[in-house]
Amino acid sequence: MTETLLEVRDLKTQFATRDGVVKAVDGVSFELEAGETLGIVGESGSGKSVTALSIMRLVPPPGRIVGGHVKLKDRDLTTISEGEMQEVRGESIAMIFQDPMTSLNPVFRVGWQVAEPLIVHDEKKRQSAMGQATAMLGKVGIPHPGQRSKDYPHQFSGGMRQRAMIAMGLTTMPEVLIADEPTTALDVTIQAQILDLLDQVNREFGTATILITHNLGVVAGMCERVIVMYAGRIVESGPTADVFAHPRHPYTWSLLRSIPRLDADRHEPLQAISGIPPDLIELPSGCAFHPRCTFRVDRCSRDVPHLERVGETQMAACWVTQGGRDLNA
Amino acid sequence: MISPLPLEGEIAPEPVVRARQSRSYWEESRERLLNNRFGVAAGLVLVFFVVVALLAPVLSALFTHTDSRTIDLANTFAPPLQGGHILGTDELGRDELTRLLFGAQVSMGIGFLSVVVALTVGATVGLVAGYYGGIIDGVLMRFVDMILAIPAIFLFILMALLFKPNTVTLALIIASVGWGSIARLVRGEVLSVRTRDFMVATKALGASDARLIVRHLLPNVLHVLIVYGSLYLAQVVLIEASLDFLGLGITPPTPSWGNMLTNSDTYFFHSSWLVIWPGVTIFLSVLAANLFGNALRDAFDPRLR
Repeated sequence: MTETLLEVRDLKTQFATRDGVVKAVDGVSFELEAGETLGIVGESGSGKSVTALSIMRLVPPPGRIVGGHVKLKDRDLTTISEGEMQEVRGESIAMIFQDPMTSLNPVFRVGWQVAEPLIVHDEKKRQSAMGQATAMLGKVGIPHPGQRSKDYPHQFSGGMRQRAMIAMGLTTMPEVLIADEPTTALDVTIQAQILDLLDQVNREFGTATILITHNLGVVAGMCERVIVMYAGRIVESGPTADVFAHPRHPYTWSLLRSIPRLDADRHEPLQAISGIPPDLIELPSGCAFHPRCTFRVDRCSRDVPHLERVGETQMAACWVTQGGRDLNA
Repeated sequence: MISPLPLEGEIAPEPVVRARQSRSYWEESRERLLNNRFGVAAGLVLVFFVVVALLAPVLSALFTHTDSRTIDLANTFAPPLQGGHILGTDELGRDELTRLLFGAQVSMGIGFLSVVVALTVGATVGLVAGYYGGIIDGVLMRFVDMILAIPAIFLFILMALLFKPNTVTLALIIASVGWGSIARLVRGEVLSVRTRDFMVATKALGASDARLIVRHLLPNVLHVLIVYGSLYLAQVVLIEASLDFLGLGITPPTPSWGNMLTNSDTYFFHSSWLVIWPGVTIFLSVLAANLFGNALRDAFDPRLR
């Protein structure tokens, strides 16, 4: 066990809407160790992105962090001032976003934008910032970085823009990099390149990475540990290999079964998870997944299960598996 | 990296480095503007009026050899080109061209000062309201609604009565209403820009609110300001002329295109040039500002590409 870099404890983020309170993140706890790659998976609306934005304290109104703590080393990010938080953003934790097409400011040269975090955090670095930015663009695989750093975003392709975004996140050498679906907007070949790059960055700079995705394949290839979220809660966590081999929550189990396989019988219909994602304003009673669960027992609709150790390395919030049942059997 | 293997006896070519010049949105817009002949011509007319205003004393010393207030009662209502008066004289024998030259100082001075003040205030209010939203937005924009709900002409009349009109106060009076519509326009643009991902992405890198507004929002709404500023210049010149015409603007003996028009309306039938010259200059400058504004809009607005 290495040192714990980031500790999220019982985080709750809610959106007060006209129709009621949306519990986007409802009591999420996890730890991130230095240098590790952690995957957060879940379907749209499961709270993955809001968790990331909460860590950065960038939840858009009417969203609000209503409870819990986010600790970076020994500092509680939920209580420090906005000014101090600005120092943390970019300097200690950087975040890159889903859509590289709109994540760069169209009116500035790419090199300047990559240098901006350096300038923002240390005005004295203004002189050296451009050189560092160009070097970083080269490192993330932009050809002719000296020349391309003078280009404007519209002259970059989608993959190059995402590389530039990663360069932007890395110029300040943050300890944590949060990548929110960094490959969703890119085509498959570029996806692989960007993931390779993130993997290489993680090894070369020792940046701890939180990779948010709904693509289980990405998690399998990249992450040491994985967290599965459903309806704002963590339903399962553990080492990626173990979770994939022996899912301990029916939701993970269903997710894994719904991946199309090349070696499957061509005439066998694709397994989908029946039902629809729950309404986050009025969650089902008990376990939020129970209406869609094929393993459910009576207790599932009555009591909310908590995340507890199931098996040797995993945690799951499920009455069925906590009761000792093996989903693969 | 896979590098192509050079065949035996063949020299591997040097990697081709593209020497293509990167062109920004601004450079492309400038090029589109320069390709618009009407736009360039209108711009040149505006520049001409500005130069005339700046060099009025020099020009009058060179060409008319008289002061705008020199009364020559022996030479009243001289038609153009008579007695050394290129554009004739008015009812007090004052040289019409000299008065037009100095009138340009008033019109262009008030015009540009008003535009600068209105743009500065309007842009600041629009940026702040649009960026922060919520209560700040509500309060600021309802105040703008209030300003714009009062008929401008009454406000002008009231203020012209309260403050003695000179170039500066008149510019401020006109700008005190004009900033409202600019604030609305900028706010609207900010609302669309602020939701774009780069705003959150930049914030996630540690940028402060002030930096986000000044360095990231402002450049993205600047084109709105430039275009509207030019169109607004035309409005200001017209408003100023109307206030002069109503006797609420620049008062004689200081010449302005507006008060020259007022003074001469009674002589229209026997000395029509006294109406024609200031009328034509106002018409030309307003037309030029409008055409230039439209050309700027065509050049800057990506939707018209």
